[in-house]
Amino acid sequence: MPSEQPLRVLGIETSCDETSISLLSVSAEDVQVEYNLVSSQIDIHQRYGGVVPEVAARSHVPEMIHLLTEAFGEDWSQAFDALAVTRGPGLSMALLVGLEAAKILAVLSGKPIVGVNHLEGHLASAWLNAENRKRWTFPLLALSASGGHSELILVKEVGVYDLIGGTRDDAAGEAFDKTAKMMGLPYPGGPQIEKLSLLGNPGRFKLPRPMLDEDSLDMSFSGLKTAVRQMWEKEAEMFARDAQARADLALEVQTAIIDVLIEKTRRAIERTGVRAVALVGGVSASASLRARMKTMLEERFPGVVFLPSDRAYVTDNAAMIAAAGSWHLLKGESHDPLMLDVDPELSLSPDAV
Amino acid sequence: MTNTFSITDRASWLPCLELLGRVLRPGIILALSGPLGAGKTTFVQELVAFLGSKDMPKSPTFSLLRTYRLQNELFKRLLHVDAYRIENEAEMMILNLDEELEEPGTIAAIEWPEQIPLWMAERADRVVWLTIKLEGGEGRAAEVMYRD
Repeated sequence: MPSEQPLRVLGIETSCDETSISLLSVSAEDVQVEYNLVSSQIDIHQRYGGVVPEVAARSHVPEMIHLLTEAFGEDWSQAFDALAVTRGPGLSMALLVGLEAAKILAVLSGKPIVGVNHLEGHLASAWLNAENRKRWTFPLLALSASGGHSELILVKEVGVYDLIGGTRDDAAGEAFDKTAKMMGLPYPGGPQIEKLSLLGNPGRFKLPRPMLDEDSLDMSFSGLKTAVRQMWEKEAEMFARDAQARADLALEVQTAIIDVLIEKTRRAIERTGVRAVALVGGVSASASLRARMKTMLEERFPGVVFLPSDRAYVTDNAAMIAAAGSWHLLKGESHDPLMLDVDPELSLSPDAV
Repeated sequence: MTNTFSITDRASWLPCLELLGRVLRPGIILALSGPLGAGKTTFVQELVAFLGSKDMPKSPTFSLLRTYRLQNELFKRLLHVDAYRIENEAEMMILNLDEELEEPGTIAAIEWPEQIPLWMAERADRVVWLTIKLEGGEGRAAEVMYRD
C-alpha cells in the first residue's frame, strides 16, 4: 500500500434499485469514507421539484447526474485517483448506467478503472470497519445474506473466492419480507419481524428448519412461506385478536431463519477451518443474527474472529464497491475502459472476478 | 384452451411440462399466477430442468430478472422475471424485455403478472397463462390457458 499519498477511489454502484457513488481514501494507515451518497437516502425528488418522470423511476439516469454533480462540483477531474464500478451481477440496463458513466470519467480523466463484482463489494463492506481491518485474516468465510442473496463464500485471499453454499430458492431477506407480508406487516419485513419478536415467547409455534438434516451447505427458505401461511390461515381469527400470538409467531419466523444461517455457517467453518467470519448484506443488520453469530463463534470456535459489516454499509452502496476496487487497484489490476462491459450473470467463481 | 393438472409433488409437474413443451415457442411469455408460497419459483426450477439446463433457478424477487441457459433445440434462454416489487409499470422498461425476447430461442416466465396488467395486456397475443391454485395442505392445481 502507498504510505504517503492516499489512493482516492471513486466508487459507482447501480446494479439494481440503488444509485450510489462514494469516495474512499485508502492509505497504509487508514481507510476513510469521504462520502457515500445513496439515492434512496437523499431527497432527490424534492430537488427535482417532485417531477421525476415516472419512466425514470428505475432508470438511474437522473439520480446518477444528480449524485455526480453533488459529489464533484466544478473541479471534478482532480477529485479522485481511480474508479471502481459494479459490472455485475445485476440488471443489464441498470448496470450500464453506472458503467458508462464510470468509463466516460475514466477516459476523460485518464485515471485507472476497475470493474467490480457486486458480491465482492458486499464482502468488502466488512473491511470498511477499522476494527475489522486490524483483525482481517485469511482464509475467511463470508455469510452474505440480503433480500437477493444468501451465500457462504470461502475467501482464500483477495480475488480468490469459492461459493461453498447458498440458497436454492428464496434469499433469507426475502423469507423475512414475504412471511411478514402474510402476517400483515409492512415492508421491509426483517425489521418488522425483529421488532415484534422482542415481545414474543418461544415454544408456542414450530416452523420447519429446511435442509438442516442435509449434509450440504445449501439453504432453502421458500418452504417457510407455505408453513407460515398454513399456520396463519388455520387460526386466522386467533391471530387477528391475539397480539401475543402474532409476536410469538414473529419470534419463531426469525428464529427459524437465523437457526438455518447459524447452523450452515457453523458447518462451513468446521469444513474449511477458516480463521475469520465476515457477516454482510442487509439481513446482517439484524441484532439477533449478530448476537447469535458472535455467541456461536465464541462458544464453538474460540480464536475465529468475527467481522460484521457496519450497519451503514449492509445494503447496496458504492463505498463497498470502492473498497473492493481498491483491493484490486493496489494489486496493480485495472481494466481497459474501452473493453469493460457489464455482466448481469457475473458469478464469484475464481476466474470471474 | 384450458388444461388443468393436479400437482402433489415435484414429479407431478411432468404432464403439465409436456403440454407446455408443445405450446411454448420462442418469444412467448409464460405468466405465472398464484399466491405467495404457491410454488411459482419451484415450477420454474422444474421447467428449466425439463428444457435441459443445469442452472438452478432461484427467486428473482429482489433481482427482478434472472437469466438461465437452456440446452434445447428450440429454446436457448429463459428469462425469469418477478414483478412482485414493481410498483409502477413504467419500471418494466429497465428490464428491456421486448428486446431481450427478440434474441433467438428466448422465452420469459413472469411471476406476479397481476402487478403489471397493462404491460401484459399489450403483449396478450403471445402470453400463455399458468395459474397455480392452492387446494389445502400441500395440494395444488395448475391451470394452463393458451391459444390454439
